Amino acid sequence: MEIGKRLKIARKTIGYTLKRAEQESGIGYTSISDFENGNREPSFSQLSKLADIYKRGITFFLADDIPAEAVPLWRDPPAIDEERKETEAKFRQLCEQYHRLELCTGQLRRASLPKADTIERESFDYLQACKLAEKVQRELLPGDVPSCSLKQILEEQFYVKIFHLNFPGSAISIFDGSFGPAILLNKESKLWRRNFDIAHELFHLLTWDIFRVNGGEGKPGAQEEKLANAFASRLLLPTDSVKDKIESAADSKGNIPLEALDEIAREFGVSLEALLWRMLCLYNTPRQKVAEYIKMAQKMRSIRPPRKSDEPDELPERYCSLAIRALRQGKLSLMQFKKYMNISYKEAEGYLTEDEEFGKEEISISVT
Amino acid sequence: MKNSGKKKYQFLLLDAGPIIELFKLNIWDEFIDRCDVTVSKIVANEAKYASQELQDIRIDLEPYQDKGLIQILDTDSSLAKSLLNKLPESYADIVHDGEKQTLAILVGSSEDWKVCAADGAVFRVLGFLGKAEQGISLEEVLSEAGLGRALGWQFSKRFREKYTNLGQIDYIQR
Repeated sequence: MEIGKRLKIARKTIGYTLKRAEQESGIGYTSISDFENGNREPSFSQLSKLADIYKRGITFFLADDIPAEAVPLWRDPPAIDEERKETEAKFRQLCEQYHRLELCTGQLRRASLPKADTIERESFDYLQACKLAEKVQRELLPGDVPSCSLKQILEEQFYVKIFHLNFPGSAISIFDGSFGPAILLNKESKLWRRNFDIAHELFHLLTWDIFRVNGGEGKPGAQEEKLANAFASRLLLPTDSVKDKIESAADSKGNIPLEALDEIAREFGVSLEALLWRMLCLYNTPRQKVAEYIKMAQKMRSIRPPRKSDEPDELPERYCSLAIRALRQGKLSLMQFKKYMNISYKEAEGYLTEDEEFGKEEISISVT
Repeated sequence: MKNSGKKKYQFLLLDAGPIIELFKLNIWDEFIDRCDVTVSKIVANEAKYASQELQDIRIDLEPYQDKGLIQILDTDSSLAKSLLNKLPESYADIVHDGEKQTLAILVGSSEDWKVCAADGAVFRVLGFLGKAEQGISLEEVLSEAGLGRALGWQFSKRFREKYTNLGQIDYIQR
């Protein structure tokens, strides 16, 4: 495919008009149009500028073949199309950079995520979603509190790429043929919300081949979302351990104060609302009753001190460590490192000058 | 005073790292008086933007080009494609576009260009491409130009040799 056609695809994918591309790149509207229509070729510096604003590597425009790209799946896509496309472009760029770091450092790893027993979309119901959650719990998550280890296990054992950015939405997942499974979470979301979002998006990754047979749309169907919620709830709040906690906190009449439930929710790393919905299944609590409890919980929140959250790093630990390793091995240039790590030139330089110091014999540690 | 004699390094391509260092050392004017300097257009922009993050220096190479003191080169995209065709997938994106353009100029020309860089990845690519002798460290250039001084690790000859060697090994083991 010619460069012009790829320029047009890249511009459309990020949702820029020709005018917006002109504003962002400083390259004239007519020139960009001429490049896209094959009337003339951009110089290397112009192509580099356009690649940069379209959040693509230069190889996207120059490689002989471009692999097919999976469509990202949004939990709650923004109403403004440009915001959606820009977020997707940024997410894809990060995933591709991560993949390139794995490639250049020889650390490309793939591990198969557990599979659902059913492969038919039509027969995938709540029972299947819960069975899948139990299977994941059994095979991957040690201990009684799955939220503590879920993210770490997905990143370290299954090489799922998990990023945090500020964007209009809560979570996006993608399973791409080239860079594998990835999740984008909103950096602003509270810890318990992000725990639930990871579990929810994990359902989409595990069932990607079932629900996205022909590529699919960027927004899952209502039924698929309900199944993902049921899966997440079942995964983060395991039946036996949650029941144990609830029953040991109940009084002799079997009542439990909302405050005690809030403590249990905190312990499991989920919101009180998530725990209350889980009780709907555990104790056959009527839906109407759960809704009432949730209203009471919202009132309680205003009189109790807020729960502590944290601010997650945008880039995964493994991504940063691969980038530093690549820089020190001469497998990533300083300018490329600066771009990948989203840091200043001065900060990037700091990682380079330390290299010689680390190599000195007198500060090496013997392991023999 | 303007150097009236023949300059050292008739075809010297500078990467962003050495440009920034020369400005930091405040010897840029003296350096371009003694060496025939060419900079790729993307590198010139990179140096400009990188210097905006530094406190003490501002780099804008265009006035130097306008006065004929240095040359800033842009190239066809096809030149970058021929460079990428010579590299394996794992090498395709290890250098930034400015460095790709610099390397593309070197690979696409019959002139005896020397690339002065302070980057392990650039020297590694040169080693892989069998162009080891066309890479040079800032330490070596300054020494030959009579401006020698103590520099950081990434500007040293040892640094260049280490990473060039790694690229040569990659080529043998490919």
